[in-house]
Order: sequence, then C-alpha cells, then structure tokens
Amino acid sequence: MSKDSRMRATINQKLTEMGERERLKELLRAKLTECGWKDQMKAHCKEVIKEKGLEHVTVEDLVVEITPKGRALVPDSVKKELLQRIRAFLAQHAT
Amino acid sequence: MSPAGCSHVNGYKVDNWKQNLRVIYQCFVWSGTAETRRRKAKSCICHMCGAHLNRLHSCLYCVFFGCFTKKHIHEHAKNKRHNLAIDLLYGGIYCFVCQDYIYDKDMEQIAKEEQRKAWKLLSVISVPSHLCFFMSTGIGEKYTTWEPTKRELELLRHNPKRRKITTNCTIGLRGLINLGNTCFMNCIVQALTHTPLLRDFFLSDRHKCEMQSNSCLVCEMSQLFQEFYSGHRSPHIPFRLLHLVWTHARHLAGYEQQDAHEFLIAALDVLHRHCKGDTTHDNGKKANNPNHCNCIIDQIFTGGLQSDVTCQVCHGVSTTIDPFWDISLDLPGSSTPFWPLSPGGDGSTVNGESHLSGSTTLTDCLRRFTRPEHLGSSAKIKCGGCHSYQESTKQLTMKKLPIVACFHLKRFEHSAKLRRKITTYVSFPLELDMTPFMASSKESRMNGQYQQTVDVLNNDNKYSLFAVVNHQGTLESGHYTSFIRQHKDQWFKCDDAIITKASIKDVLDSEGYLLFYHKQFLEYE
Repeated sequence: MSKDSRMRATINQKLTEMGERERLKELLRAKLTECGWKDQMKAHCKEVIKEKGLEHVTVEDLVVEITPKGRALVPDSVKKELLQRIRAFLAQHAT
Repeated sequence: MSPAGCSHVNGYKVDNWKQNLRVIYQCFVWSGTAETRRRKAKSCICHMCGAHLNRLHSCLYCVFFGCFTKKHIHEHAKNKRHNLAIDLLYGGIYCFVCQDYIYDKDMEQIAKEEQRKAWKLLSVISVPSHLCFFMSTGIGEKYTTWEPTKRELELLRHNPKRRKITTNCTIGLRGLINLGNTCFMNCIVQALTHTPLLRDFFLSDRHKCEMQSNSCLVCEMSQLFQEFYSGHRSPHIPFRLLHLVWTHARHLAGYEQQDAHEFLIAALDVLHRHCKGDTTHDNGKKANNPNHCNCIIDQIFTGGLQSDVTCQVCHGVSTTIDPFWDISLDLPGSSTPFWPLSPGGDGSTVNGESHLSGSTTLTDCLRRFTRPEHLGSSAKIKCGGCHSYQESTKQLTMKKLPIVACFHLKRFEHSAKLRRKITTYVSFPLELDMTPFMASSKESRMNGQYQQTVDVLNNDNKYSLFAVVNHQGTLESGHYTSFIRQHKDQWFKCDDAIITKASIKDVLDSEGYLLFYHKQFLEYE
C-alpha cells in the first residue's frame, strides 16, 4: 500500500473509532439534502429507471450512472465544510 | 429487484441466522459502542487488497471482507460459493446469483432495529418529538422516511380524495356563528386555530384522551381543528365548545359579553389540565409534577418572568421566577402614571415602530413593564441580608420566552373610581425583538453596557405577529373581532361568521387588545 493510502487508512480508523465518521456522514447527508443535491440525484435515478425499465434495472446500473454526476454536483461549500471538520477533528486528536 | 426478496436467501436462513446477522450489523455496519467501533476500524479492510473504500462488503457465510468495486468479493463468492454479502456502508444484502441487492422482509426488519440501536448510542442531544430539525454541530434522532402501516395504507386507499395546498387556498379559514355575545370566544378560537404549532399538534392527532366523560376540552379543540381544516366554507357553530367552556369555567357562563383575555387564560388553563394524557415525552415517563408539565400548552405558551427585588440598603437581590401565559401591559391614560420610562434598552430602534406624533408603541409598554420600580416607604420588604424591613426596588424581566407570546393591552379599567375603556392608540410591529427585555440583557446593562448591541446572528428572541384581537365599542356594549395571519403574508379579518381579506396596514392600524407573536426560529430543548 502506498504512503497515501496508508495515511487514508489511519485517518479512517481514527474517525471510525471515535464515532466521528458516523457524525460526519449525517452532517453530509443533512447538507446535501439542504442544498437540493439529494433531490437532483433522485430525479436522475428516476430517469435511469425509466430508461432501463423498472423490471430490469439493478442497483449496479444506478450506481454506475449516477456516481460521476453525483460527485460533480457536490457544492464546493459542502466540501469545504467537511474538510474543515475533519481537519479540526484530527488537530484535536493528534497522536 | 423484487421487494419480495429472492429464493436464494432461504439457504442462509437456518439455525441461528438472525443472531448472526445482528452481530454482523452491530460489529461491522452500524457500530454503536466504542468497542465495536474499534473493531470495525481495525478489521474492516479488504482481505485481498487492504483498502477500506471501494464499497466494502462482508460475506454472510464466513469472515471475509472484499471490495465490491474491484470485484474482490465477487471472486470470493464464486470460489467459495457463498452467494450472499452485505454492504458495510448501507447494510444492503447482495445476492450473487440474482446479481442485485435483494430486499428480504425479515432481514430488513433486523437491519432497521440495529440501525436504531446504534443511533441511540451515538446521539448526544435529544429532540422534542414535535420538532425534527437537525443541528449543525450534533445529531438528534435519526431522520427516517415515513413508512405507512397496514392500517394507514387501508385508510389511504379508502379515502382517495387529496387536498392540495396552494398559496391562494383558504383552507383553515372558517367563520364562527355568534351564539349570543360569544364574539369574545370566537376571536380567541380564531387565534388558537391559527397558532402554527398548536395546529400541527392537533392535525397530527397527538392528543391521547384519558378522560372518561365526553367533557374533554382538548378533544373538542381537536374536533374544532378538523372543522376548520375540513375545507367547508360555511360558518361553524361552536355550541359544543361553548357548553364545555361553561362547564369548566363557570365564571364565564351566561349570555353577557365576557372579556376575551379572561377567556384566553381560562381556555389555556382548562386545556392544560385536560392535557395530562399527552405528557409522554422523556422516554415514556409521564410528567407528574404540575410545575414542570410538558403538555403542548406549556410547551407553546408558558414563559418565565423574573422578579428581582433589590434592597436599597445592602443592595442584596432576591429573585423569583414565575410562569406566565401572557403579559398584561398598562397603557398611558390609565390611573397609574405611564411616563417616565427607565433609561437604556433602546427597544424602539430595534423594533422599528412608528412614533407618529408621539404615539405609544408596544416597545414603550414593554420598557415600562420591565423598568425598576421603587416600592416606596409604605411597602417595605423584609431583606434577607439586612434582616430588617427596608425600602427596595422591584424589576421584572423575561427569564424564559415562550414560543407564542401573548400581549394583553389593559384597555379595560376597573378601578374604584371608574370603569372605562382606554382607547389610546398603541402601535405594534410585525416583527418584535424581545432581547432588550430579557433578564440576560438587564445583567449586561448592570455591568455597564448601556447600549445593547443588537446581535444580528442571535435569532432566539425574534418574534412575528400572527394574530390580533380587537375590541370595538364601550365597556358596556362592545364587539370583538380578530385579524389572523395565513401563509406568511396574508391577513384575514374574522368578524364572527364573516371572513374578509385584510391588508397589513389594516392590521397595524387597528387599536389592538390582544397581540399574539410567534417565535421566528425554533430550537431544541
């Protein structure tokens, strides 16, 4: 594993252990709902389902279709805020 | 992707599968305790490449974690013929034979329960159940989408008619027939049925009646809300309400005109007493303490008034806090002198009221209400510090603000010498900031900060007007009407059975007897 991914793994471990990961997830969920991202994604999903047909579409189809769009549509402000939270957390719990 | 699950799970559902599945959820998906979180942090990595991202899945048949994106879990499934895996991010069950996520009722049930459990352990702040906002610094009760029960589905199917609320619809507006000088009751009913939190409480059927007889006023209130929001446009005849009021508040019985303010207090009192069955917040424990009742009336209307008595000799302060449902304000022109007011607390600048040629404002009245009052040599109070009777000053401030603040302008004078109505015009604002009248503001003033800097970010004390009750006429013969607010900026005048559209100017130019304000921003407890 590269140094980068090892650092990622360590940070992830710390976040999970302290329950911060769950809190951040919920914060992110709330922020993305507030700014309308969730509704945009929901609409896109509906389009994909219409295209592929309700009987044949799989979760995998949806994941493949909406992941790139979803990633691109996250507002910068949300990214900034979460980064800040993570930084603050790490600063607080630096070993 | 059928909601009925797939047949391949049957191979899994043997022996102690439920417990095993729960353990997997608790340890690797929704880890609630510190121990499970530590274990999850250490062990939840792909057994093939060591990554923790890439949609990690756990095999349901053995201890194996694999990436979904990199197909490591797929390889494992093929090699070992373990055809079920669980998504560690969202808890979904994947079937490799069906090649899709499946929805098995039993498994979904277990998933939901485990998620709730873990959530309870993680949540730090409790939320009053009738509010479900999210705080930005913590988490409350986990937001879950509403799922109808069987009974609810049945009801929805049998009642296919749906009502669409547009900005112009008049739902919630309904006239009330005057049953003989009952306009005093009608105007209060209009104000109460348009109190947003109260409306939400009753329309979501939150009242559980514990009274054996048919004389529960809360049930009648609930019925009233149903009538108002039924969409019927004909005026409602509130004979049952009137009867219940006569039964429970004898002093208001009879066909003569009564005081609307007295009716408001009596109604709140009876509703509060009859709400006993609804105080089941705090983990199902009922609030038996009458001083700390948690019924909807208390939650909405009860505030705390702080009274500070300062001894003029030793400057010791004796403080008491009393609950209140309304603030009764003296007016200029009454026998008690109105001016001069105390210095400091620049309330009227904050509230932007018009001082048309020296007219009194609501803020003036509030400043007078919260001014330090010298009690005089004939009313000496026993001072705990001096251990003797001393002259003192008394001051009232707001300790705790209610969600709905009701201001009562004391227009009816019943002194020994005369009985009259004070018709002085008092201007009141659409938006009111109560900060200058708070106990905390008084403390900062005493510490030398005279000019109260208005904290624009502190929204706790900001209120919006939503109902006004007016009295026309004299003490002997008069008539009550009310203005109520609908949909943010639409106002309507309610004159018994007649409802007409009103302008904001009509409302603000009216004399004003009872003023109802609602907090603009609601927060947690």
